[in-house]
Amino acid sequence: MLLAAATAAGGGVAALAVDAHEPDDTAPAAVTMDFVPPPAGSYALHAIMPAPDGPVLDAEGRRRPLSRFTAGKITLLGFIYTSCADRRGCPLAYQIFHTVHHRVAEDAELRSHVRLVSLSFDPARDTPEVMRHYAAGAPSNGVEWAFLTTERPRTLAPLLDGFGQDVRIETDAHGRPAGPLAHVLKVFLLDESATVREIYTTAYLFPEVIMNDIKTLRLEDRPQRKIAR
Amino acid sequence: MHGNRVFAACTGVIAGLVTLAGAAALPAAADETCNSPYMGNLIKGQEDYLYVWALGVKGMGDGSDKLVTIDVNPASSRYGKVINKVSVRGQGEAHHMGFTDDRRFLWAGGLDNSRISIFDVGTDPSRPKLVRTIADMPAKTGYVGPHTFYAMPGRMVVQGLSNTKDGGGVTGMALYSNKGELVATYPMPTTDGGDGYGYDVAINPQKNVMLTSSFTGRKNYTRALGDLVKDAEAMKKFGNTMVVWDLKAMKPKKVLSVPGAPLEIRWSLKDGDSWAITASALTSKLWLVKPDASGEWQAKEVGVIGDPAKIPLPVDISINKDGTGLWVNTFMDGKTRYFDLSNPEQPKQTYERVTGKQVNMISQSWDGTRVYIASSLLANWDKGGADDEQFVRGFAWDGKELKPAFEVDFYKEKLGRAHHMKLGSKAMKTAYGGERTAALR
Repeated sequence: MLLAAATAAGGGVAALAVDAHEPDDTAPAAVTMDFVPPPAGSYALHAIMPAPDGPVLDAEGRRRPLSRFTAGKITLLGFIYTSCADRRGCPLAYQIFHTVHHRVAEDAELRSHVRLVSLSFDPARDTPEVMRHYAAGAPSNGVEWAFLTTERPRTLAPLLDGFGQDVRIETDAHGRPAGPLAHVLKVFLLDESATVREIYTTAYLFPEVIMNDIKTLRLEDRPQRKIAR
Repeated sequence: MHGNRVFAACTGVIAGLVTLAGAAALPAAADETCNSPYMGNLIKGQEDYLYVWALGVKGMGDGSDKLVTIDVNPASSRYGKVINKVSVRGQGEAHHMGFTDDRRFLWAGGLDNSRISIFDVGTDPSRPKLVRTIADMPAKTGYVGPHTFYAMPGRMVVQGLSNTKDGGGVTGMALYSNKGELVATYPMPTTDGGDGYGYDVAINPQKNVMLTSSFTGRKNYTRALGDLVKDAEAMKKFGNTMVVWDLKAMKPKKVLSVPGAPLEIRWSLKDGDSWAITASALTSKLWLVKPDASGEWQAKEVGVIGDPAKIPLPVDISINKDGTGLWVNTFMDGKTRYFDLSNPEQPKQTYERVTGKQVNMISQSWDGTRVYIASSLLANWDKGGADDEQFVRGFAWDGKELKPAFEVDFYKEKLGRAHHMKLGSKAMKTAYGGERTAALR
C-alpha cells in the first residue's frame, strides 16, 4: 500500500511516500502473562514525571486543556490513530482499554475515580468527528472515556515530547525517508494530580496488572509527592 | 522476548503530523541480543555504526573519556573507520552504556567519577551529541559507580557498583526517568543471604522477573589488579550472589548463591525459554538460572570456562538469538570462546581463538554473522607494556571460524581504551529534531 506521508521535523513538514507493511496475522495478538502479579497496595508506584499539558479537541470539537482529562481522576492514557489496522498495535491497546473500562465499571469503588483517554497521533485525519465515530465503540457504562485529538501537528508535538512518546522515521542508505514511521507503543497511568506513575508497553500490557496499579493508587493514604512542572 | 514474542506493528495512514505506518513495540526479533526487552526501534538488518565508550588516557589526544563512532557497514566507503568522537570532561573510568527504550538516547557511565553522560543518538545517529550529564548520583542516592544501564518503559535502571560511605561493594539501583530525573532507589538486599553487591541487570517481563548479579566495590575496582590479587582480605570482597526480583514490585524475592563474582546476565531469547545464563569471573564457571519443577528459581553451575585454576577471568558474554550459543571472552588469555548451548544444562565449548592480548567486551549482530570485540576491562586492570593492546576488532562468523574484518587501533588513533560497544543504525532517525531533545538539555 502506497501511503502519502508527511512528517514534522523540527516544525517543518516534508512529504514522502512509504510502503506500509501489511499486518502479520501469524503473530500472536498479545504477550502471555506468565506470572501472578503482586497484590494491589503491596508495592509502590513512584512519581515518574508530570504529564504535559496543552490544548486538545474533545470529540465534540471543543478546545480544552489536556489537564482537564488528566487531573482529578486516575487516568489511563494511550496514543492511538483510528486508521491503525494491525491487531497487535493500536487495536491491541484498544482491546486492553475496553477490558479495563469494563472491569472498572464493575467496581463500585473505582467507577467514579478512573477515566480512560485515547489521544490521536493523527490530527489531520482523526478529526473530532472521526473520534466521535471511533468512540461509538466504547460502551456507556458510567466510566469516563475521552477520545481526543489535536488541531495540528504543532500542538500535538509538545504532548508527545512531554510524555516521552517517540515517533521515528526510517531512512534508506542515503538518509532519505524510505520506510514507515514507527513508535514504541506506550500506555500511561496517571494519578489524580496528573503525575505519570506507570508506563506500559506491549511487553507488559496486562489488564490484571493495570487494574492492580489503579487500585494501588486508590489505596494510597497520602498524596504522592507531586513533581514540579 | 520470552515465550510468545510479539512485534506489534500498526499499519495505517496518517497525514498532517505523520503518516504512521509502524507502531513498533516489543521484545522483537532483531538487534543486539543483550538489549532490554522493552527497547523498540530495533536494527533489523545490517548495523551502520558501532558506538564505543572509551576511557581517556592522560597525555593521549585530549585525554578525556569519549564516545567513538565507527562505521561498520561493509558497504560504506568509511567501513572500519572512526567517523565521529565526542569527548566528555576528564577521565572518569568510562565503562558501560545503554539505550533508552525508544533508542533515542544512549546513557554512558563513569565508574570512577560516577557521572552519567547522555548522548542523543536519534537526531543524527552518525553524530551523537552530549545533551545532558547527571553528576549528582552519589549525592542523591548514596551509590557510586553507575554500571549497567537497562531500559524500562520511559525509565532507565542504573545499577551501582559501590557506595559513598566506604567504597565497598554494598550498593543499589537508581531509577531515572528518560528525562534524567531520579525517580527511586532500590538497595541490593543484605539479608536472607544477600551480600548487597551489584553488577548487571536483566529483565524477563513475561515472568515478572528481574535478575541482578554482583561484582565488587570502588576500592577494589580502582586498585591495580596486581596488588589486589595479593591482598587476601580485599579478594574476599567480591560478590557471590544473584538476586531474583519481583519486577513489578521491585522487591527482592530470592538470593541465589553464585560464588566468584557473577557478571553479565543473558536471558535466552528463544520463544518459550525461561532461563538465563551468566559467567562467574573469579571461579570461571557458567551458571544457569531457571525455575525448578516447582517454579522456584535456582542457580546451577553447568560448566567451566578454560582452566579455572589459571583464572582466565571470563568477562563479557553474548548469547545468540535463539539461545543455542554463547560467546565468552576471557580477559587474561585473550581468548574468545564459543559454547554450544543446545542443552543449556550442559554447555560445550566448540571453538576458541585468541582475539587479542587482552579482550573484554563482545557484541554480535542479531543474525550472529558479525562479532565485535573490545579490549579494555578497567584502567588499572588492563595489562601493561606490549600486552596493553587497545582496539575494537570486527569479525565475520560463519559458524566455524571467526575471520578478521576490520580493526581500529585505539592507541594509534589516540582514542584511549576501548570498552563497551553498542550498535547503531541510520535507518531509524527520530522524526523530531531539536525540539525532541529539548527536554534533556
